[in-house]
Amino acid sequence: MRGFKKSMLLLSVVMLTGLSTMSSTLAEDKPHYGGVLRVALAGDPPSLDMHQEQTFMVTIPMSTVYNTLVMFDQHHYPKIIGDLAQSWTVSDDGMTWTFTLHQGVKFHDGSELTSADVKASWDKIVFPPEGVVSTRKSLYQMVKSIEAPERSTVIFRLHYPAASFLSLLAHPANFIYAKKYLDQDINWYKTHAMGTGPFKLQEYVRGAVLEFKRNPDYWKKGFPYLDGAKYFIIPDTGARAKSIRADRTDVEFRGFAPAEVEAITAQMGDKVTVAHPGQPAHWGIAVNVDKKPFDDARVRQALSLALDRYEMAKTLGPLTGLDTIAGPMPPGTPWTLRPEELQALPGFGKDREANLREAKRLLAEAGYPNGFQTVLTNRAVKLPYIDFGVYVVSAWKKIGVEAEHKLEESATWSKSRLTRDFELLVDPFGFAAEGDPDEVMVKFTSSSPSNWGRFKDPVVDQLFERQKVERDTQQRAQLVQDMQKRIIERAWEIIGLWWTRVEVRSERIHNYEPQPSHWLNRRLEDVWLSAR
Amino acid sequence: MAIATRQARPVESPQTLPRHNLWEAMCKFVRTKPLGTAGAAIIVLMALAAVCADLIAPYDVYEINQQLQFAPPSLAHWLGTDEFGRDVLTRLIYGARIALFIGFASSFLGTTTGAALGVLSAYLGGKTDLWLQRLMDILLAFPLLVLALAIVTVLGRSIPNLIVAIAIPIIPRTARIVRSSALAAKENVYVEAARALGSSHLRMMVRHLVPNVMAPFLIVLTAQLGSAILTEASLSFLGLGTAEPTPSWGLMLSGGAPMYAEKAPWLAIFPGLAISLAVFGFNLFGDSLRDALDPKLRHRT
Repeated sequence: MRGFKKSMLLLSVVMLTGLSTMSSTLAEDKPHYGGVLRVALAGDPPSLDMHQEQTFMVTIPMSTVYNTLVMFDQHHYPKIIGDLAQSWTVSDDGMTWTFTLHQGVKFHDGSELTSADVKASWDKIVFPPEGVVSTRKSLYQMVKSIEAPERSTVIFRLHYPAASFLSLLAHPANFIYAKKYLDQDINWYKTHAMGTGPFKLQEYVRGAVLEFKRNPDYWKKGFPYLDGAKYFIIPDTGARAKSIRADRTDVEFRGFAPAEVEAITAQMGDKVTVAHPGQPAHWGIAVNVDKKPFDDARVRQALSLALDRYEMAKTLGPLTGLDTIAGPMPPGTPWTLRPEELQALPGFGKDREANLREAKRLLAEAGYPNGFQTVLTNRAVKLPYIDFGVYVVSAWKKIGVEAEHKLEESATWSKSRLTRDFELLVDPFGFAAEGDPDEVMVKFTSSSPSNWGRFKDPVVDQLFERQKVERDTQQRAQLVQDMQKRIIERAWEIIGLWWTRVEVRSERIHNYEPQPSHWLNRRLEDVWLSAR
Repeated sequence: MAIATRQARPVESPQTLPRHNLWEAMCKFVRTKPLGTAGAAIIVLMALAAVCADLIAPYDVYEINQQLQFAPPSLAHWLGTDEFGRDVLTRLIYGARIALFIGFASSFLGTTTGAALGVLSAYLGGKTDLWLQRLMDILLAFPLLVLALAIVTVLGRSIPNLIVAIAIPIIPRTARIVRSSALAAKENVYVEAARALGSSHLRMMVRHLVPNVMAPFLIVLTAQLGSAILTEASLSFLGLGTAEPTPSWGLMLSGGAPMYAEKAPWLAIFPGLAISLAVFGFNLFGDSLRDALDPKLRHRT
């Protein structure tokens, strides 16, 4: 009997241990309510109104407060699903899109969302009134009008059947605001945050932290899981990486340079997950064609030829993440130029010596046999701006072009860019939706506000106009490729390198996958944190 | 009855560094002040490196070398290479040029202006002295680096602006010291005599006061040289001085060095050593020079 008691005791101990471990592993797979996500953010948002801003410093924190009409599926990018829109239909000619909204959606102040709010927000984006900036207005040049005939119906009428319309509609920056407040003051949302989203802005201490807390009345029942989110403002890159290493933050939503990723993984091991979601941004050089000698195509081509992009990618890749060579369209799309096509274009050939000779010849032909002096205006941010600028300035010395590397603080650099107070400018551009040509290539048209160099090439403009209405994908791809080749041949913009984003997050974060652009999937409505 | 008369010989105003005795003074300095000599040697070495940079630098200072990124110190690259594959030793040598050029220019500008103001203030006395000194007090209220920072932010980043920004905080520091020496010199009888003889103000200041303040002036100059080099490095480190890819020691310490400190510690060690050594050299030399030129100590053997 003694032996029996002992073995029963042993058995029950084993069973109890087994059961408790089982239940804890089961608990890991089930969403768990509670917890505050801590995010490291690189800087203060210039204002809280996403429609008027261009930086991830607004998108990343403020996406938690709002919904959009449609969005990219959090778990199946690039599938587009409805957010505030329950369903939609499109007419046969592709020019009328009718959206039916969810019922019973409430703003944080208790009022109910109607189609009037959707119309007011979209009018502000597509048809901004005098004095209001809408930085992505030209993406929606196909929209003729927006109507709200009934409480739950919104109709978009287009000038032409654009293939890109739905994906551009799903762009994460198109927050839906309340008409009531837009009527009071069109700029109300620059300093206030009030939406329909899963979180409410609780406190914003400039330079320190943005604190969001759970919206208990969120219209998607059962969400969000998190109690809140805190975005710590840490401008220094090294300090941001250290905050992850020291477990003071859980994730940094934009991206780290390879050297920092190495250091973080060396220290944290499998407590962090490293993802390479894609290449959403490109760094190149905008050329102010109104300043001599940049009106001469030969000078621009020489500047482009002097850059050995293959070596540049190998050098800057490990330092900054700028490691991919492609044309103006991002790598990995149906419209990307193939490597063989690219190599035939000036500046992308592999024979470095031949490129340098040709560059010097072009400069001599243009009247600058001994080069010239110029100024490269750059943003005073180390990664990747300053490193990219250093490479480019050093490379140009080989053809006799002495460029002063002028570093300006972010706000000053933005202003110089806007007022065209530059000769050469380090120019980042990218995509936040799907990378459709309507989103990326519009920048190179002569009327685009983000064509900083203000070049006018009728061939480029025409190709853009033709591709935006082309419904046959093959034809459209051909037009887009021709447009890219023309831009590279004339060196209107000096194409640089595409940036590989590396996102590092704590393994405690569940139900979240990073998407190519660091602007996407920032609502956090169905993300949950496991217990420590 | 003829009274014996003698032609009065004008008393020579004391010269601190009689030209024909300069060589002897220097030899004496080397003999009696080994530390100061060491400091001077460091300075001379730096200056030679700066002047002959093109001749002695082993590699091109701007050439980016992808294969050599982060190479540790080796026979080919004595101090290693940086994140762009550029030779650290070459960049240090050219950095000496920037450091010395900006250091010398700003400290000369600052100390000369300060000395002029100090002498003027001491000589004119009264209300002018009062107002000038209060102005100096206002400038002195700001820590040196903070004032230089503020000036560069207002003027913008460029080498001339940098020189001015570093020179301005030096002015009051020099003016104070030079003024007290000048005040003491003013008390001498021959100064009063010269005034009585009808010397103009300018002649008085230049002929009688300035030679007397040369000693403290030189001491302040050497002291401020070290401080100016440090300020330039600090401003570049903070991102307000020279910009990449210009090789400045302070710039080499910011940017690449802290980011890659674990991977490539030589990026931070050598520029840091260079700055420390330069400032150390100037301080040593300045200290010993002060001992050598101090009138109270001068006649001791």
